Amino acid sequence: MSTLTTPRPDQAATPGPAPLSGQDSPVSPTAASTRSTAPPALRRTVATAGSWLWKSAAIILFLALWEIGPTYLASASTRVFLPPLHEVLTAGADLIASGQLQTHIAASLTRSGAGFSIAVVLGISLGLVIAWYRPLHSFLNPLLELFRNTAALALLPVFTLLLGIGEESKITIVAFAAFFPVLLNTIAGVRTVDPLLVRAARSLGLGSLSLFWKVILPSAVPTIFTGIRMAGTSAILVLIAAEMVGAKAGLGYLITNAQSSFLIPQMYAGILTVSLLGLLVNILLVAAEKHFSRWRTSINA
Amino acid sequence: MNAKISLRHVRQEFAVRPAKGRQSIDSSPLVVLDDFNLDVRQGEFLTIVGPSGSGKTTLLDLLAGLTRPASGQVLVDGREVTGPGHDRAVVFQQYALFPWRTASTNVSIGLEGSGLNRRQRADKAREYLGLVGLSGFADRYPHELSGGMKQRVAIARSLAYEPDILLMDEPFAALDAQTREQLQDELRRIWTETGKTIVFITHGIDEAVYLGQRVAVLSSRPGRLKAIVDVDLGERDNVEDIRSTAQFADHRHKVWTLLRDEVQAAQAAGHRKVLPDGTAPDEAPAPQPTTAQRSAA
Repeated sequence: MSTLTTPRPDQAATPGPAPLSGQDSPVSPTAASTRSTAPPALRRTVATAGSWLWKSAAIILFLALWEIGPTYLASASTRVFLPPLHEVLTAGADLIASGQLQTHIAASLTRSGAGFSIAVVLGISLGLVIAWYRPLHSFLNPLLELFRNTAALALLPVFTLLLGIGEESKITIVAFAAFFPVLLNTIAGVRTVDPLLVRAARSLGLGSLSLFWKVILPSAVPTIFTGIRMAGTSAILVLIAAEMVGAKAGLGYLITNAQSSFLIPQMYAGILTVSLLGLLVNILLVAAEKHFSRWRTSINA
Repeated sequence: MNAKISLRHVRQEFAVRPAKGRQSIDSSPLVVLDDFNLDVRQGEFLTIVGPSGSGKTTLLDLLAGLTRPASGQVLVDGREVTGPGHDRAVVFQQYALFPWRTASTNVSIGLEGSGLNRRQRADKAREYLGLVGLSGFADRYPHELSGGMKQRVAIARSLAYEPDILLMDEPFAALDAQTREQLQDELRRIWTETGKTIVFITHGIDEAVYLGQRVAVLSSRPGRLKAIVDVDLGERDNVEDIRSTAQFADHRHKVWTLLRDEVQAAQAAGHRKVLPDGTAPDEAPAPQPTTAQRSAA
């Protein structure tokens, strides 16, 4: 007990820098209240707000530069190709008002969602089978390495030739790009199960099947979800590129079409939408990943 | 013949693979146990000590049925051990709890598929968590528990399906001294209450003497049974600190003397721990100072 109370007078003597660094050093609420006259709740709110401000400062600066730069720093011709932010936002608002943006987002999300789902289902089930049967793994691994290192977009002409320029070829290329992160992470997750847990499970009398369902699969779930998150990111990236090459709708189409129609602010509005969509998908998948690896927090901490 | 466990001329060997980055030491198989004979009585608390690399963990794996001997017989109740069974339970040094399961479902995992429904299993888990002093922690995940609490959960898990035999592989080695003594006392209490046969592997001489009715001392590799020391500390209940008694010191010294020669021999030969998968990550061609020294000191 005495070890807790003795440092307090020393800390109280130097209250100056403490409230500022309060965010970085974990301080118990009781210790904090003795050091500052402000209510702890208020101080925490201020500290949180400050931290948010600092974290978003780079983005705010970037947007400000985007707004001011083209107007005051760039030449008139550059300004046409790099319109300031407010023009882009206006163009985006118009696109939303006319319902075009929603249509394009829906088209893109349907394709990437379909391809992504196919990839997740196939990737996990094949990954489990491949990881479970060692000979199959050593047989297929070289081929998988070859495919994995083939850029998905390099295969776009192949898929277009085989499946036409419709939805099938786009969904297929998304599925192809998203498949490998899921597959390889599933394999890795199953193969890196702690051997001690397997020993413990066997000593508890678990047979092969329950060992797989009760020990190997749950311990692989966090690794599998890392794969799913990577797959989600690449599903969107590849789809946009595929839509730029040949499509009648979708965000990739919106961007290239706006460019060739010389609707430059619209083009930037499309790009901005792609960024925000990618960010949103990633946030959702990170949340899912966290949810399913809650029990791993102690290892990561 | 009332031996609960019998080991008859047991020999176990591994094809040692050197760990990554090391040159091959020796391609011939490494004999870990050779002509090993031991009987454990029904309801007995037997502790096993031995120098590093003397095959303690190998022995426990054989008893658990996780591995089969190269030759010889491992008998439980006169029947040969062919695999893991519900008559035996293992407690590992590193707890080996399933981190995605709560304390309660960790304890009841061995009961799944035994015909009990979820509620009955939860009741059973609560009962055994209570036995190890963890009532009220049923819904905690392993990462929310301290080392000592984790090991209590592991002990509850091994008791939950009511095995006759408890096999413990240095279960308290990773705990701090106070927690260790506390758990030692609780294990003795559980043993008295349940009448299990316990085989307890340790590298602590004090722990071996304190817990065991008999202490089996293993020789350096290849492991053989060097001696069995009967522990008679008299009436325990009336003694405040049994570890400070002259009887305790006598027994401790006896085991220490038996172990010292073996530790020196193991050290001279550069023996290191061999993992269950046959790798010997610490095995070096040239003998180096070993940590086994500490167990004799």
